[in-house]
Amino acid sequence: MSPEINRNILIAVDASENSRRAVEYVGNLLGDIKGFKATLLHVIREPEEDEFPDPGEKDKWYQEHRRHVNRMLAEYRGMLMEAGFADADVSARSSLRYCPSMAECILAEMDSLEYATLVVGRRGLSLKEEFLFGSISGKIVRIARNCAVWVVE
Amino acid sequence: MTGQFSQEVLQKLVAHWVPGQRQNQPFRVYRDTSNFFSIEYGDIVILNDTPYLIRHNTKEGRFGLDDEVKYWVKRAIDLATGEAKIVKLVFHEKFIARIGDISFECFRSPLKEARILNLVGSRPNFMHGISVQDDQGNMVRILDVIGGITLADHVWDLASRIDHETYFYQYFPEILDNYIECAEAIRFLHQAGEKHGDIRRDHIIVDRDSGVYRWIDFDYNFRHRENMFGYDLFGLGNVLMFLVGMGDLLVPRLKIDKPDIFARLSDNDTNIVFNNRVANLIKIYPYIPEDLNRILMHFSKSANVFYDQAAELLDDLYEFKSDFFKKEITNES
Repeated sequence: MSPEINRNILIAVDASENSRRAVEYVGNLLGDIKGFKATLLHVIREPEEDEFPDPGEKDKWYQEHRRHVNRMLAEYRGMLMEAGFADADVSARSSLRYCPSMAECILAEMDSLEYATLVVGRRGLSLKEEFLFGSISGKIVRIARNCAVWVVE
Repeated sequence: MTGQFSQEVLQKLVAHWVPGQRQNQPFRVYRDTSNFFSIEYGDIVILNDTPYLIRHNTKEGRFGLDDEVKYWVKRAIDLATGEAKIVKLVFHEKFIARIGDISFECFRSPLKEARILNLVGSRPNFMHGISVQDDQGNMVRILDVIGGITLADHVWDLASRIDHETYFYQYFPEILDNYIECAEAIRFLHQAGEKHGDIRRDHIIVDRDSGVYRWIDFDYNFRHRENMFGYDLFGLGNVLMFLVGMGDLLVPRLKIDKPDIFARLSDNDTNIVFNNRVANLIKIYPYIPEDLNRILMHFSKSANVFYDQAAELLDDLYEFKSDFFKKEITNES
């Protein structure tokens, strides 16, 4: 394999079914090929300062959410290893960020980690949902630069 | 005695500013507003060393339903100045908002409203007020009262008196100018990273004194998904549709009142979320200019391009206005 090609794959995930499909896709496609490294990324959106009535409740929410995220990332990691990735070639990270746009947050994480390929699942929003709330994968495809984006449906 | 405000001092202040107020009992005085249900007519709330005489709770009506009493929003009189105020106390409420068949969790955010009050200052297209913390750290908002009626009531009042064509040519141009100012105000919020959160035609008050349209109620909040401002833009689109149509053009009503027009409508002519509202208004009122109707169609089921930002909607509105007036001048010459 040509050494100058960046073979680090970043998979942005959440607990949705489409994220699971994205992880499966990467596992099926690259699991048997040596030289690829995969990182699972979950960005936790920082809640508004008074979404919770007091700091204690916010902390409780965060601890609970963090437990769910860790469990989810461990499960996805297991899926990649089962598909053939070596233990050392799969990592996972999650970060709590202020995110006006999740797409921009994911791309910022990607830049800081120097990955060249980003994989995301697509939720398959209805027209009205996309209109009201926007689409993360749609925006990533629109604004990503200097990288390849795989959108898995 | 409560700080510097003894019962005697309070009696004097109330007698000065509200001579008609009868008070046989000592005032109940609150510096902690956490239990807002217990704060009633005739009580005193002291905030930031200013006493407020509490009057009645406010109400909010919507879509023909009975007015809902908002126990956390009190009419009051500032006993330092005699001015009428609205005092919004802290109510941590989470609820499910439903728009068409989509639902999402919302919450009241006193801190967001306080931030926006601070941000907008005395800008004309917003309600004005200050925020202060009570003794327990609750972020209370003290709002100036805006005299006037909601934009919805203003338009319904016109609709009860004139036909659409008269409205469109005689009243709508000025209404559109005012709407554009409101949309500019929302653009200002978005540029500062804030969303209004609950854009509705009854959250705009037509100021009786100045005629200016003013946004109210900034405390709705929700955990947004990708587009932080999508819901605000949807609200702006709905308000515009309401203004162009001089009310909502409802499909079931058209079926009864104007079956010939109903027969020409397709699903793509309706609002992207509200299936029973017509967005393609040119099919009902053919004198509506194409350029204006095209803007409305961004909020219809046939839309394949959405406005991401208020600036995009405003650009289209300005372009429509300039072309429209150019044509009018050409026609006249």
